[in-house]
Amino acid sequence: MNFHVPVIQYAEVLPILIVLGAAVLGVLVEAFIPRSLRYVFQVVISLGSILLAFVAVVRLHGTSHVAVEGSVVVDGPTLFLQGTLLLLAIGGVLLIAERGLDTGGSAFTAHAATLPGSEAERTALASGIIQTEVFPLTLFALGGMLLFPAAGDLVTMFVALEVLSLPLYLMSGLARRRRLLSQEAALKYFLLGAFSSAFFLYGSALIYGYAGTVSLSGIREAISSNAGNDLVLLMGVALVTVGLLFKVSAVPFHAWTPDVYQGAPTPVTAFMAACTKVAAFGAILRLFYVGLSGLRWDWRPMLSGVAIVTMVLGVIWALTQTDMKRMLAYSSIAHAGFILTGVVAVNKAGLEGSLFYLAAYGFTTIGAFAIVTLVRDSTGEATHLSQWSGLARRSPLVASTFALFLLAYAGIPLTSGFVAKFAVFAAAYSSGSSALVIVGVLSSAIAAFFYIRVIVLMFFAEPKEDGPTVVVPPIMTTAAITLAASVTLVLGVMPSSVLDLIKSAARFTF
Amino acid sequence: MNTLALSAGLTGAPEAVLFWILAPLIVLAAIGMILVKKAVHSALLLAYIMISLAIFYIAQDAPFLGVVQIVVYTGAVMMLFLFILMLVGVDSADSLVETIRGQRVVALLAGLSLGALLIGALGRSLLGAGIAGGAVGLDQANSGGNVQGLATLLFSRYVWAFEVVSALLITAALGAMVLGHRERPVPRRTQRQLSEDRFREGSELPGAPLPSPGVFSRHNAVDIPALLPDGSPAPTSVSRVIKARGDVLPTAPFELNKESQGEQK
Repeated sequence: MNFHVPVIQYAEVLPILIVLGAAVLGVLVEAFIPRSLRYVFQVVISLGSILLAFVAVVRLHGTSHVAVEGSVVVDGPTLFLQGTLLLLAIGGVLLIAERGLDTGGSAFTAHAATLPGSEAERTALASGIIQTEVFPLTLFALGGMLLFPAAGDLVTMFVALEVLSLPLYLMSGLARRRRLLSQEAALKYFLLGAFSSAFFLYGSALIYGYAGTVSLSGIREAISSNAGNDLVLLMGVALVTVGLLFKVSAVPFHAWTPDVYQGAPTPVTAFMAACTKVAAFGAILRLFYVGLSGLRWDWRPMLSGVAIVTMVLGVIWALTQTDMKRMLAYSSIAHAGFILTGVVAVNKAGLEGSLFYLAAYGFTTIGAFAIVTLVRDSTGEATHLSQWSGLARRSPLVASTFALFLLAYAGIPLTSGFVAKFAVFAAAYSSGSSALVIVGVLSSAIAAFFYIRVIVLMFFAEPKEDGPTVVVPPIMTTAAITLAASVTLVLGVMPSSVLDLIKSAARFTF
Repeated sequence: MNTLALSAGLTGAPEAVLFWILAPLIVLAAIGMILVKKAVHSALLLAYIMISLAIFYIAQDAPFLGVVQIVVYTGAVMMLFLFILMLVGVDSADSLVETIRGQRVVALLAGLSLGALLIGALGRSLLGAGIAGGAVGLDQANSGGNVQGLATLLFSRYVWAFEVVSALLITAALGAMVLGHRERPVPRRTQRQLSEDRFREGSELPGAPLPSPGVFSRHNAVDIPALLPDGSPAPTSVSRVIKARGDVLPTAPFELNKESQGEQK
């Protein structure tokens, strides 16, 4: 038996290596650096490595290559999504690193190992410790996210899925306030996530049974040459799709989303909501556009159905929410449906539209959740909708910025959301799914209603007597909000440069 | 029957016998694992399932996978399960109250129908299409030895996935530390400090050791408080764990004055 020495193109996987390496470094910092210095080290390592990785991604610009024995595909969509993820992660890490908002010092628990409400917890809180393990966990999750849309075979895709999920399960349970809710969220996310991973794995095994390979290009060839038993393939595709749709929280695999978004510390929710969706849709695009494009007549009706149900139920449920974070969670479900309309177009316009939508949605989400961290009362964040009434009287700037993000969600012209929605709906229309477009536009109208309801509440309702205060955002949160708001505006007013970039990038290599 | 077994991927009559003996037992154990009330029984059934699966793997010419299944899953993971069960408490039972009405019935129906769909479709595709001759490409894959073949794949084609799994393991270790490791916010008190505290004025703890329980060894002596010289029970003599469980027996029958009352009855 002759052993083939694997060729690893280190330069092409450099962004992933930098982020994962920095995560390991962060773990070492936890072990060897005294507690008082850890925070500074962790923030510098996290932000520095993300910036370095971003530079590495930019330097790879124009690469189109299948690297590391076929495990990693470095092409336009990969690089665009990795760049987007890294920029979003900067916003996410800034929010996670914020220590000027909560009176306790941070949004994260003093000591996750102590039971909520116990004597040990009170001692830990009083001692002023704040755990900093959340930084390496963020970087591990980010490393998995960078790999997820680049995976060239189902095994790598599964490993990336786990690498991105496991830290997120943990981070959801680290909230400082309402810890039982947070731990419940973490447990729900973990159990359901593990369950959906099992679906993905079983589906991969069935696809392997059909194609005799797990590499996406190999599956593509097997489908085009009609190699084996279609029934096995279809079941495999269905099960793999379940695993991926769970991650983007499409109906009917959305049940975890509101609870986890609400229970997790808000900075983690921001990071998770923005980045997971980008990474998971990247993987969906690659799987369906590269591996299963020959099978499109079979999976398109299924995904169209999921898209319709997701859009309609997402907006209807969002309409009935009274909690800001839950409302944003249901709106993220609806947005998954909107992006799916771009995916089912299966043409270049669909790919471009989905990529643009992901970037636009990600930044808006980071910004919206960043604002949620600012509105506080004595018990922490004030997330009940009624508490937000008359917010513009207290802080016109914060209310206007939030209004900008909501308008972008609603898809009002001059915001990124409009261009994004236009792009995916146009792609869906050009591929002949006009029913999908009609449902999409109608759901957008309903969605606009509840977004604008919040704006009306903030600007035209009387403020409550003992309402929450709006904290003046400290530097890191300000930076994150500024990043999000400016991208939302720039993508809305002058989207052409980014659209051109996407146009040149939107070509899968296999 | 034999052809059925063959087409399901088995290669010979002894294996068919093995399969038809072990498979029903595994299915029974799997159902039992969900249905039994005690977590330890559930874990033992899971161990049984894992070992049986390992036997299947070995019978199917995948010795490495079989051994790994025993060493890693049964040996390490299952034992950790049991350790944790012991730590949490073998007695602790989960609340089985349904918070959503009818959820269990709906979930059972949905799960059964999904299972039926999968079994039906798989059975149709494997049996109906008539894939004869069992495993395809097994000899080729095992040509240089089973372990060697796996190693070649793992360290060449899938080396990236293999390496990235390390990130997963580090995350798991870090997560276990975050959720499980308690640091002391204040340094541990030394023996000397504790001793000084005891003798300090106003201390609730006695300077001498606590009185031992159960002077009358008529029952499980630890659950009966000792009697003080005046005949009254000494509350500190019973372990607080036993007190918290409510297992402390009344001392009334043993106390001098009460005893005489008892005789009068």
